[in-house]
Amino acid sequence: MSTSFLERVSAVSQRRLPIDARNDNLFGLLLAAPGVALFLSFMLFPIAFLVYLSLTDATHAGTVIGGDATIVGLENYIELVTDAQFWTSLTVTWLFLAASLAIKIVLGLGLAMLLTHARVIGKRYMRAVVIIPMGLPAIFIVTVWRGLFSGARFGPFNEILASYNDIITGVVGLFDQAVFFAAVSAPELLLVDLPISWLSGRWSAFLAYVMTEVWLAYPFMVIIIVSALQDVPMELHDAAKVDGAGYLYRFVHVTLPAVKRPVMFASILTAATSFQQFLIPWIFNGGGPSRQNELLIVYGYREAIELNQYAFASAIMVTAIAFIGLFMWLAVRKGDLAAGVNGA
Amino acid sequence: MNAIIAILSSVISIVASWTRKKATWPLRVIHTVRLTVQQVRAGNRSVLDLAKTALGTGSALAVLAVLMFPLYWIFAASLSAGTGLMSTDGLFADPTTYNLDAYRWVLFESPFVDALRNSLVVVFVTVSVSMSVVIPGAYALSRHEFRGRKKILYGYVLFTQVGAGLSIATLIALYVLFNSVGLSNNLLVLGLFYAAGAVPFNTWLLKTFMDNIPVSYEEAAVIDGAGRWQVIREVILPLSKPGIAVVLVFTFLAGWNEFIVARTLLRPENYTLSVELYALATAGQYDTPWTQFSAFAMLFAMPVALIYFFAQSYVESGLSFGGMEG
Repeated sequence: MSTSFLERVSAVSQRRLPIDARNDNLFGLLLAAPGVALFLSFMLFPIAFLVYLSLTDATHAGTVIGGDATIVGLENYIELVTDAQFWTSLTVTWLFLAASLAIKIVLGLGLAMLLTHARVIGKRYMRAVVIIPMGLPAIFIVTVWRGLFSGARFGPFNEILASYNDIITGVVGLFDQAVFFAAVSAPELLLVDLPISWLSGRWSAFLAYVMTEVWLAYPFMVIIIVSALQDVPMELHDAAKVDGAGYLYRFVHVTLPAVKRPVMFASILTAATSFQQFLIPWIFNGGGPSRQNELLIVYGYREAIELNQYAFASAIMVTAIAFIGLFMWLAVRKGDLAAGVNGA
Repeated sequence: MNAIIAILSSVISIVASWTRKKATWPLRVIHTVRLTVQQVRAGNRSVLDLAKTALGTGSALAVLAVLMFPLYWIFAASLSAGTGLMSTDGLFADPTTYNLDAYRWVLFESPFVDALRNSLVVVFVTVSVSMSVVIPGAYALSRHEFRGRKKILYGYVLFTQVGAGLSIATLIALYVLFNSVGLSNNLLVLGLFYAAGAVPFNTWLLKTFMDNIPVSYEEAAVIDGAGRWQVIREVILPLSKPGIAVVLVFTFLAGWNEFIVARTLLRPENYTLSVELYALATAGQYDTPWTQFSAFAMLFAMPVALIYFFAQSYVESGLSFGGMEG
């Protein structure tokens, strides 16, 4: 599959200029070489070094540079699989990935359908607005959301929940006045106990992570689904309508098949970035409380930079890179299936 | 002084003509409303039909408002210096008390200006280095056959799809390596690192763009006696301008936005804007200076948002020619 994909990718560029071919060979190589060299020295070389580090017993940066590190084989990996923190971290990473991906797909599909709907006026402008988060720096978004989830009594989300409480109490109060013979008070179940320290609780912090991740990445979903929906000929919907198909039937049999492949492709890509999510947990609460929400990359980073366990951290990162590699391979494979690789 | 006025007036005229050309929606809204009223009066259009459209548009607007709430909040907060934001009741300060004190603080009392200079150094290195390897690389991969070409392409495609998170994984090794040669606290090295990270995606992007330039243009130039360099200079480069613009935007963003590598490698005197923003956001659990943070964040994100806004059609087409669009 992959070779034929590449062949098609390069098919267009196979048409070369009628310039001397032997000369050409060296010329092209020389032009491409600097980029490759730069990339190799700053990306592939560190990865190779990381693999080497993971096989040593280096603890802090000094031991690595001083040459005090000795090869210990797979000891770090054995330590890794017996470390409870590793399994906590891996579980919460996949949980985070799955939860945010599910919400992203549903939200993206809903928004895309809304913003291509015939009944909505000004769709083009709305689409431009809806993808704004894509044009903002991730560090900006994450720090702003940290503010929104502030645990203070007057933090934005606590403030919103406070007004929700007021509404519930108000509605129940009206009811109380109407049913004058019985004393009705707002049931505790419907009220929220404020203030919530969003980032100090395990699951509330997890919820905050997921919400932020969804907000970071939904524009990509929307763009891809919108362009897929626009490719569906209106005649298909009309034909289904004429045949008496209901809304749900048309959704399942016309809309879903059209967006299935693009959504799958986009899912692989955003899942890969969710898997590597670092900024959200790190900035929100450092993967806390008490390391319960440490996503994989945060776990590795902390072991290295804060706890000075370089070799161990390298083993974590090599594991993470293996997963990332899996995603990359999947993306290239499925991306080909989905898109037929545009422009090639 | 005259020069400044001349520049200002030309900017204003550009913006005005752009607005006239692009922002025709108020006119169209008026036109549509008039037409709809006529249709309903004449009985060509039922009120129910109209209500459905209103409902659809209204619900879309409501969803948008909810989604954009964080942006509105941060914008409002940046204007609410000294108004008791987040300490009294109410999500937003009274609009009549809006002021620019927070922005004044950011520009004149915070480390913003120093950090901006550091950021610009990093971005300059990133953009210039990556452009100077991406353009020739993309051209070679698009137009020339050489040994290892397919391997390079395949490697680039792999790293095109996911790249950003890898840099944190490799950060550990880099930290050790840079420390050992005393290069960790260096803005130029940081820019170089970002440039390296930006190579695969942007080369691939530009290569696919160049693939769509018909070879016949070059053939015509060769027949007219143009040499190899002349073909590149007078055919390839001018025709790839939109693609190069997109690459420029992406490499700029790569240098401007990155946080954790900068935070790990740099010492405080070299902090870039993103690191200072983080420092401000995490200054304290409960006493984070929200209004000042908001103003800082707005000033940090504004250039990016503006670039993105003006380059939007370019960037969207960039996404499609990068094979990212389904």
